[in-house]
Amino acid sequence: MVTIIQQRNKCIGCNYCVELAPERWRMSKKDGKSVLLGAVDKKGFWNVKVNEDELEANKRAAEACPVNIIQVREH
Amino acid sequence: MRDSKIELMSPAGNFEALMAAIQGGADSVYFGVEQLNMRARATMNFTIDDLEEIARICGEQDVRTYLTLNTIIYDHDLSLMKVIVDRVKEAGITAIIAADQAVISYAFTKGVEVHISTQSNITNIETVRFFSHFADVMVLSRELSLLQVKKITDAIEREQIKGPSGNLIEIELFGHGALCVAVSGKCYMSLHTHNASANRGACIQNCRRQYKVIDIEEGYELEIDNEFIMSPKDLCTIDFLDQVIDSGVKVLKIEGRGKGADYVKTVTQCYREAIDSCLDKTYSKEKVANWMERLTEVYNRGFWSGYYLGQKLGEWTSQPGSVATKKKVFLGRGSHYYSKLGVAEFTMETQKLKAGDHILITGPTTGVVETVIEEMHVNDDGKKEVAVKGDKFTIKLDTQIRPSDKLYKIVDSEAVAQ
Repeated sequence: MVTIIQQRNKCIGCNYCVELAPERWRMSKKDGKSVLLGAVDKKGFWNVKVNEDELEANKRAAEACPVNIIQVREH
Repeated sequence: MRDSKIELMSPAGNFEALMAAIQGGADSVYFGVEQLNMRARATMNFTIDDLEEIARICGEQDVRTYLTLNTIIYDHDLSLMKVIVDRVKEAGITAIIAADQAVISYAFTKGVEVHISTQSNITNIETVRFFSHFADVMVLSRELSLLQVKKITDAIEREQIKGPSGNLIEIELFGHGALCVAVSGKCYMSLHTHNASANRGACIQNCRRQYKVIDIEEGYELEIDNEFIMSPKDLCTIDFLDQVIDSGVKVLKIEGRGKGADYVKTVTQCYREAIDSCLDKTYSKEKVANWMERLTEVYNRGFWSGYYLGQKLGEWTSQPGSVATKKKVFLGRGSHYYSKLGVAEFTMETQKLKAGDHILITGPTTGVVETVIEEMHVNDDGKKEVAVKGDKFTIKLDTQIRPSDKLYKIVDSEAVAQ
């Protein structure tokens, strides 16, 4: 199992996560920040549990994020 | 606004800096909200909900307000961009500073005054004429000389190039602060190395670091005197401000939305005095020496005149960070203000403070207050010479302080290094 966490309020809307893991990320046309699909908000930290097959793409998204607000944890 | 021929525009990264800019004598302030500004990484950006408060504070002081909306804009940014422009209009912010045509076009249709950002890199009169359909004020590229600037301002006058307001186009110029080695706002270095695009306000400023030049084929390393080969000194125009004003610019802009309130106040004050003395003909070498000394006390990487005097080669800094001659050391926070007595109480959280020390107080409402400790009363022990961690002390102070205010001691940088 993999947990993806996003500190959404610090997103600057660069779109890299969407480019690298399009199955899990979308850009919000409402506020221009990225949305972690399926995630729930826990005090500003949005998180979702996903299967192993999403690990690599989301690791790349986390590495690419210029403001380091994405974490990918393996359990 | 002040009766000056040149408007002094100061940076405001937060409410502290905003108050500091006003206290320093700025005619206008510029600031960003949310992620669509060139300081998107900064943790201290205002939010869209602060616009009314900014407009209120500045309105009371007759200070103009400019919101920077000058990043590149993607499709997914358009809604937020429109919301921000609409809120700018509602809140009564004076104008937006924009670079992208989508922003310029939308603001224009909404009747919001537009200033063209330095990110548009205007370097000639035809581009001024093009943007005059949408904007009243334009920042010229930082790479122009004052001679080139004067040709543009003369042509605006001669050809009567007017903006949407019906007034002649006003030219704005960067007067003080950090310079990029790249064309302003068009650098890809941070993007290539860290995916952090300068054009989205995410620049990590890795050009400011030391670099080596190595021959890849044979591994020879070139000897370079100064390893900070991409880190220019800061721009400073105070020693030729008369020439800057003579070039016909109407707005002088101070860089530094990421810098502290003390920096904003000191730099604004120096340029306020310099502009005023140019206008009343008291601008002199002695005054310039005094301003230069004060400017070196706050954050700087060494100064040079940029490209304004026709210099062809850049001047590089030799330090990784600031070479300011003064540093501020955090001591504690404000506790209480006894307004009838004019007495301020502080709580020491660290370090120690002596009578005779120079202190600085900053806060979102207080702005920046500086004073020298003449005498202080510590805890319930009456008058004492020293306050240390855990102590509460009081001093006479004409200006009100608040519990949110931070207290610093100003010391010589050399003393900190030792």
